[in-house]
Amino acid sequence: MADTFSDTMIDLKDVSKTYSLRGGRKVILNGATISLPWRNTAILGRNGAGKSTLLRLLAGIEEPDTGKTIRHKTVSWPIGFRGSFHPELSGIENVRFVARIYGQNTEQLIDEVESFAELGQFFYEPFKTYSSGMGARLAFGLSMAINFEVFLVDEVMAVGDARFQRKSKAAFHGRLPSSRIIMVSHSMPALRDYCQSGLVVNDGNLHYFEDLEEAIDLYKLINS
Amino acid sequence: MTRLAINLRVIFALVLREARVRHGRARIGYTWAILEPVLLISILTFLFGLVGRNDSSSGDFALFFATGVLAFQTYRNTSIYVSTAFDQNRPLFNYPMVKPMDAALARLVLDGSTHAAVITLVLCFQIYALGAPPPNNIPLMILALTLLLSLAFGVGLSLAVLRRFMPSISNVYLVIMGPAFFVSCVFFSLSTVPTLYRNILAWNPLVHGVEGFRSGYYYGYQNADVDLFYLFTWVVIVNFFGLVGEWLTRFRIR
Repeated sequence: MADTFSDTMIDLKDVSKTYSLRGGRKVILNGATISLPWRNTAILGRNGAGKSTLLRLLAGIEEPDTGKTIRHKTVSWPIGFRGSFHPELSGIENVRFVARIYGQNTEQLIDEVESFAELGQFFYEPFKTYSSGMGARLAFGLSMAINFEVFLVDEVMAVGDARFQRKSKAAFHGRLPSSRIIMVSHSMPALRDYCQSGLVVNDGNLHYFEDLEEAIDLYKLINS
Repeated sequence: MTRLAINLRVIFALVLREARVRHGRARIGYTWAILEPVLLISILTFLFGLVGRNDSSSGDFALFFATGVLAFQTYRNTSIYVSTAFDQNRPLFNYPMVKPMDAALARLVLDGSTHAAVITLVLCFQIYALGAPPPNNIPLMILALTLLLSLAFGVGLSLAVLRRFMPSISNVYLVIMGPAFFVSCVFFSLSTVPTLYRNILAWNPLVHGVEGFRSGYYYGYQNADVDLFYLFTWVVIVNFFGLVGEWLTRFRIR
């Protein structure tokens, strides 16, 4: 039931988040209250509007300055092609670490990720030697092998070749009965591929649209 | 699953991860952990043998230096190791359940157990191969070592917090730890120091940890000026500073 609205995945209640930068303060969210339905949702916003920070708030890596975030589903970490892997550890060691902290079967997870990511010998080399495409394959393959109800994806689809894009799409569609995606990307085709709804971040406010096209219209208006 | 269970699972995963890269990826690996104190003890024993303090056999020297070097290095290495826990694990904080405190605790667990193993090995070697006397009061040695490790954790954590604002603080600490080797009773006994200097030396908390460890080993060791409660006071202060500091600065810096 991809279009069910009765299910909420994440609630934001009066959430504010500000960063102190050298040149003053940067307001990411200013008292935002929103209830996100369990749907495939695109996050749109200009560069520096705080899309990645929003993702980190949704994941629970960062706490808001004021207000609360409540997760009703199991939520992944923000999946990006450089983010969460340790550069000194090999791919397989990074996978093992994730298997342990999420309480997964280590060997089974390694098998699944190895066959998805197709890294060959690089699976045993330190992550710092990987290209961004290899990093994306590892990150995406690893997260898809764990049963999250919500996947937070940060620009992973933009990297990698056509084959990887086909493959990741197939992997995600296999997950669709039990999972949804929240996706940050600047590529409209990728967002249209995966998402039906949209969330626009602008000037500390959040605007949710059931229909992705309306969100894209607002995003274009902001950008012009 | 309770929070505590998740915390323990995360710390366990971090310990295993840190163990993979602790002593570099070189084949020598953990051999270095034992080689370092053994080399230091040998050099000290050799040098003091040359100077001609031949009133006792070199076996006694070796044991005396071993107790000092092992206790001091446990503190020094662990505090330095904990101080970089935040920086060197930064990518892993991208997983929601992995917190900086877990990384610091994992490093305490790993380095604490590594040093405990090294101490056991070196002292057993002294006893069985060099004919040193067996330890007299093992609980007291464990108490002194626990206090030294707690101090190392508090200092390391405080440094890790300060490093969020000025990474160069580590250089200052390393400069301090150089001379600290010479004023922490590593290769002399507090009771042999003239009264005036002894009162000054006693301000150094490490003196009490190192001498406390040693007085646990030797039967009838002169330890009138050794005050483990003074060391404990330091432990409380630095851990308080580190924990509160970590909490206050948690979300300030990315």
